[in-house]
Order: sequence, then structure tokens, then C-alpha cells
Amino acid sequence: MNHSAWYNVPAWVRYNFTMPLSRMTCPACGADLAYDSHQAEKGPDGKEMCPYLGRPYSKLRAAHDLIYFGKWRKMDATTTDIRRAYHQIGRHLKAIGEVLGTKDLPAARRDLGKAIEAFQAGDPEGESPDSLRFMDHALSYAHTAIDDLLHEEGLPPHDPMEFSKWYDAVEVPFKEEW
Amino acid sequence: MISLERYPREITLRDGARLTLRPMVPEDADRLWDFFRRIPPEDKMFFREDVSRKEVVERWAEHLDYDSVLPILALEGDRVVGDATLHRNKTGWKQRVGTVRVQIAPDFRKRGLGMSMIREMRHLGEKAALHYLLAEAIEEQQPAIRAFEKMGFVHAVVYRNFVNDQKGALHNLVVLLYHMTYSEEEMSF
Repeated sequence: MNHSAWYNVPAWVRYNFTMPLSRMTCPACGADLAYDSHQAEKGPDGKEMCPYLGRPYSKLRAAHDLIYFGKWRKMDATTTDIRRAYHQIGRHLKAIGEVLGTKDLPAARRDLGKAIEAFQAGDPEGESPDSLRFMDHALSYAHTAIDDLLHEEGLPPHDPMEFSKWYDAVEVPFKEEW
Repeated sequence: MISLERYPREITLRDGARLTLRPMVPEDADRLWDFFRRIPPEDKMFFREDVSRKEVVERWAEHLDYDSVLPILALEGDRVVGDATLHRNKTGWKQRVGTVRVQIAPDFRKRGLGMSMIREMRHLGEKAALHYLLAEAIEEQQPAIRAFEKMGFVHAVVYRNFVNDQKGALHNLVVLLYHMTYSEEEMSF
């Protein structure tokens, strides 16, 4: 049966409504991806390729984007979604700290320090009504620390929107201002 | 003396543009003047000196003293597209405070170059063992202010109707401060 006919979708769109998304966990960087397999890039072996593969700091970038596109930032997020994201941010900051521990980058360490400060203020188990805002700040400073690492190697900053289609994400506002 | 071994260095912007960062040398006078000629008049209104006069830029080039003013240029090929300067006092009560100024060519704005230049200034501030970096901006320059904030600068003070442009109109001056020390305790869980 042609399911696309139910939705008046032309057949050439090739959209399969019975199985809308494919899933993959990258064994190299741990990226947990949900994507339209028709749009995924494929390697020489014909298998779908993790978009972070071969990119510097791929684990940190994948971990950042998993949180960035996570359900906790949506209007219908549950308490469990928010708690899960909080713990993900904690693990993410720890991973950044481990990388920075091997580098002489005081400014990046300071950005991580600010992320930790925001993280500690944003514990959803606490009484703070601004928990989500602090979590968002923690993730933002973590992003800055990753960009500090990339800048030291002369590489462009990390742009989560470049990877948005791998997270079944609707557009998140993100704009380079200066 | 700040070590400048890392220069020249290549950076890549988000859109793939490849630029070279390096300290200004006397031979850059013409390039830098050409860069300032392309800066919009509304931005030039807030400059401390009249950079539309070539002799002003030539004087800078002739009297380069990296220990007082360290200019880092961003070049696309032979063209200057960004200029960031770290101003320091060699002695006295402000010798641990550096002042940062950044100017970006109009066609390179909103491409992440300003952020990259601020990152370089933070790095140089560390190497110069400064305690604070200070940046000033007119309140209308919101993109620049947000970029500094994203890089960890905080509003220290806003002076109301404090500075005038070249037409005499008054503007609010925002002073942003970056604290360069952070204890290991603050960085641990």
C-alpha cells in the first residue's frame, strides 16, 4: 500500500510515514542520532555515516548537540526530561574538563569554570525557579569552551544547526552576531 | 614581552573563509589605511583619532611598540579585514589592566571574526599576565557588546550621555570587564 497517498504526499518525495526516522548510536563518538535515512550521507560501503566522524573533538560536539536538541528545551518537557538533561550537562562538562586538563588554555578553562558555576546554580532538584535558565547558560559556556579548543587549532566554531537534521529538530534560533 | 611565536596563524571562519592572523608591521600602513577607509562613517564617529587621515595610520606604523599597543591584524590574502589591539601600561597602577579594541570590515561582520579576534585578545592577555581586560563600546553597538559578553566580559558600568560622536551628539558608554583569574576550586565539581 502507498501510505503517502493517505497524506496527499507525491510519491517522488519518498517519505515513508510508517517508519519516519532511522536511529543510530555512533560507536566512535557516541552520538545518538534520529534521522531521515533518505537524507543521510553514506560512506563508500553504502552505510549511513555519522556526521561527526573525522571531525576534531567529535565526542564533545556530539554530546553538546544531544543536549542542545534535547526535549528539555521544549515546551512539553517533563521533570524527568529536565533532570536527565541536567545530568547529561554534568557529564558533558566533566568530559570537557578532561580534555582541557591536557591543554594550556586558561581562557577555555575559565569558560568551563563559568559553565560549572551555572550548572551548580541550576540543579533542578533545588529550589531555584531559574533552573532552566542556568542549565541553558551552562550549555552555552560549554559550547564556548569547545569553540576555544577549535579556535586554537585554527578551525571554525561548532555550529549545532549543521547537525540539526540528525536530531529530528525543528529550527533553533542560532545566529553569529559579530 | 609577550611571546608572539604563535603568529602568523591561520583561522577558518564558519563559512569556510580562511584568514591569517599576525601582528602589524610597519609595511602594513597602506593596508590598514585602506581597511579604515572602508569602515562606515557611523562607526568612525567613535574613533579616538581621525583614521581617514593617512598620516595618522602612518604614524602608528612608524611607532609600533608591542609592549604598549599590540595590534593583531586579520588578513584575507593581502587585505586587512580585522584589527584588534591590546593596549597596556608598562608601569603604574594599571599595568595589570589591558584595554581591548576590535574593528571588523563590514563584509566580514556576522561571520564570527569578531569572536575570533576577542579570543586572540584573551590569549594575549593571559600571556601578558594581565588581571583584567577592559573593553568600551557605545551602547548602540549591541552586536559587539553581545560578542564580548559571550566571551565572558561583564558590564562593569554604563556612563550615561558620557561620550560624544564627531557631530556632537551624546551617547552612553558601556564598559565591559573580563576577569582573568579563576581558581581551580571554582572549576571542580
